[in-house]
Amino acid sequence: MQVPYERDDVLLRRAAKGEEAAFTELYRRHQASLYRYTLRMTGSPWSAEEIVQDVFMTLIRQPKKYDANKGEVGAFLFGITRNRVMKHLERSPREVSLDDENQPLSGKEPADLLTPAFWAERRERVEQIRDAVLSLPPEFREAVVLCELEELSYEEAAAKSGCPIGTIRSRLHRGRALLMARLELFRGVQRRASTGD
Amino acid sequence: MNCEEFQSIGLDVGTRRITPEEQAEAATHASTCAKCAALADSWDAARGELAVFADATRSAEAPARVQMRLLQELRAQKRPHLVYRRGGVIAAWGLAAAAAIVAIVSWQSWHSKEKPPQTRINLPAVNVSLEQSSAAEAVLIADEDTGNFTPLPGALPIDSDTGAVYEVRMQRASLGALGLPVNEEGASDWINVDLLVADDGTPQGVRLHEDASQSAPVQ
Repeated sequence: MQVPYERDDVLLRRAAKGEEAAFTELYRRHQASLYRYTLRMTGSPWSAEEIVQDVFMTLIRQPKKYDANKGEVGAFLFGITRNRVMKHLERSPREVSLDDENQPLSGKEPADLLTPAFWAERRERVEQIRDAVLSLPPEFREAVVLCELEELSYEEAAAKSGCPIGTIRSRLHRGRALLMARLELFRGVQRRASTGD
Repeated sequence: MNCEEFQSIGLDVGTRRITPEEQAEAATHASTCAKCAALADSWDAARGELAVFADATRSAEAPARVQMRLLQELRAQKRPHLVYRRGGVIAAWGLAAAAAIVAIVSWQSWHSKEKPPQTRINLPAVNVSLEQSSAAEAVLIADEDTGNFTPLPGALPIDSDTGAVYEVRMQRASLGALGLPVNEEGASDWINVDLLVADDGTPQGVRLHEDASQSAPVQ
């Protein structure tokens, strides 16, 4: 039997009345994308967890903050998440704890093990890329995350960031340039290390 | 396509963001411009790196404990509502009961003022006559002389041993309070009457003195 699909705003109304099933469904629909965005922006699983939890807490405590005339629930949640992320980055621009370094970014262990050396190398590369992304200024980083990692169109990225398409293109252009320089630097270090220079 | 245009859209080659025609133009330009070709190569390498990073985080989800905490919060938010609602219902019933009690007590109080006690209803003549004759002088004439008394309306035949006769000076209008008809012309006249009173204090009969009966006889 097919379960009828309910719109997010309907689920939110039901969740506001305390219906756990409705809230759970709403949470399952949106938590992953919000968590991914937060994780890629902060580089910290702990921060991402805290922020996502905070966003849904806001939804539980103040469901009337959502105005259906202003957009969909997903956009509303993303807006709150983005604000929390930006505040987090302002407060601690480069706060990556040692514990975070040992956390797998996906939050899950690899399912298939090729060789320990492969995973060690891959993990090192991922950490270097993460560091390169995190080294970008927040606005450029956001453009890279939305357009390159989330693979959104310019229109979608502009809507999510709340800025014109031209601004997103400009930020992405500068973000790419900085990222290429940073990654080139990493590759240069690796080349020198491998050749022994 | 020139170098400036290539820097603007050339790095979007291989994505949905530019049209196939623009992709073809960018590829043509890169094949003729070494600087732009180097930029494209550098970006291809960076994009490959980013793809690795994207893959590493593609399946990332908030840990299950977040959902558990949120559901706990949802239950905690729901509970006060129920408590408040239950408290509200109890308070409403309490107020309603209190209002009903106050209404009943008020009504009974008002009703008792509207209707004087039964004993007072039965004795209007006595009260009125005694009040109106309070200024008058009452003199006990005899305990046994009960002859020639006009019985008051509703009075029972009285035994002469139990009754008492008082001489009372009163206004003629007071006879009306005892249930006797009074001529309005002499209603304010002062007269002397003998009042036959039973042991319980209720007047049973009245006897006018001769002078009073001559001046304004009881009709």
